[in-house]
Amino acid sequence: MLKIIIPFIFVNLLSSMNQEPTYLVLNHFDKDIPQAEKLLVENFNNSKFEFDAALENIFTDLDSYDNPASSHMDMMKELGEKYKVSFILLNKIEHKEDRFVLDGLLFNTRSGGLIHRRKIDLKQYLDGQINELIMWVGNTLGVQEKEWQKNRESILFNDPEELTYDKTPMGAAIRSLIAPGWGQAYSNKKTSAGVWFGVEASLSLAFILSYLNYDKSAKGFLSNTDLYHQTDDEKLVAKHRAAAEKDWGNHIIYSRLAIALASATSTGWVSNSIHAWVFGPRPYTNIYQEWDSSSELNKG
Amino acid sequence: MQMNHFLKIVYLLIIGYSNLFSQIKLDVSTIPKRVDVYLDGVNLGTSPVLNERIKPGLHKFEIKKKGFAPLAYDLLVNPAQAIKLDFFLNPIYKIKFKTEEKGLVFELNGEHRWDVPFIRLELEAGDHFLRVFKIGEIIDEQTIRVDEPKRFNYYLKKPLTSG
Repeated sequence: MLKIIIPFIFVNLLSSMNQEPTYLVLNHFDKDIPQAEKLLVENFNNSKFEFDAALENIFTDLDSYDNPASSHMDMMKELGEKYKVSFILLNKIEHKEDRFVLDGLLFNTRSGGLIHRRKIDLKQYLDGQINELIMWVGNTLGVQEKEWQKNRESILFNDPEELTYDKTPMGAAIRSLIAPGWGQAYSNKKTSAGVWFGVEASLSLAFILSYLNYDKSAKGFLSNTDLYHQTDDEKLVAKHRAAAEKDWGNHIIYSRLAIALASATSTGWVSNSIHAWVFGPRPYTNIYQEWDSSSELNKG
Repeated sequence: MQMNHFLKIVYLLIIGYSNLFSQIKLDVSTIPKRVDVYLDGVNLGTSPVLNERIKPGLHKFEIKKKGFAPLAYDLLVNPAQAIKLDFFLNPIYKIKFKTEEKGLVFELNGEHRWDVPFIRLELEAGDHFLRVFKIGEIIDEQTIRVDEPKRFNYYLKKPLTSG
């Protein structure tokens, strides 16, 4: 794999004029990081960048040395004298599959020793390289902007405990408890929403009709019983008796029917809410076989 | 002459003493915050850890928080300097993987294999390499991104109409 090696030299000139620590910054990236140089200049103005490919050998893996802190002492001293700086800052960015590693090393040119090291090993910190580089350079120069911190946090993966969703299974369950089918509709399951609403509406209607018939039969029975007691006419007695017996029979049937329908309605209502929770909105991704010509992830 | 010897010994003793007992200022920051930080097996408390002291030499940091992949990091600390460490923990998400296809064997990151239609996994956030086998042959390879707790549904064919 072709690796792009881009060492930059960045000398903090302003500091040197005030006899404050001066820095030589060497950047080594294995991939091109667009606008890295420009952004470094923008964030740390009064600084100067130069390009020098001859310093590539500094960027070997320091961890392979027995004593990384002193492995390049002579070279650092020489560079310090050459560029008249008090510190040398090495920034190495490597991409290893889905990870990116930023190895920041600060050397003191007087002793040549490594005095500060910052290593970041991140998985899938997309487009975060330049932000981390700026933060590290800023850290060594004593500058830290809140915006950089916010940038970093915005790019990182979310804490599972802090994840919030617009739609939740509990939201669906509560909606279905208020109105059957609402939770399913909220979860974009229109068919099951219609079925649940239809079933519950039918059961409720049947229950109401049964109750009304029960009520009518009960009142009819009482009315016919009164009429039965108030008359001595044989024909009317027989008529009211037959009507009262019919009302009694109906009252029993509709009473049982109303109780059964009420049970069915309430059980269905709760089941509908549970169904809404079980099949509620949860994040998913459909993966289709990629080796089959057209391949894409359909995010749900 | 004797005085010179004495001064040299005193000087060496001072240097040796300061090197032996010199401690370096240590700050440890983490994302997320309130993470248990262990230095050489000793709990330093929860992050951010500020103004701790560390002796020069090789040290092992361990950073642990429930719901995140633990991190172990070896660091050689150079004498007489301050050290500031930033650790980023990668979250672990609960994943469900489901397929209605028959006879498939799945392999994730070349390590974990399964052949059941539904499995629960705990995966570190980021990209993971999925390989699919059927009758011993690879029939698919692709990278799936885990960026939140969710369910993956695997299909052999893409539907004609979406939605």
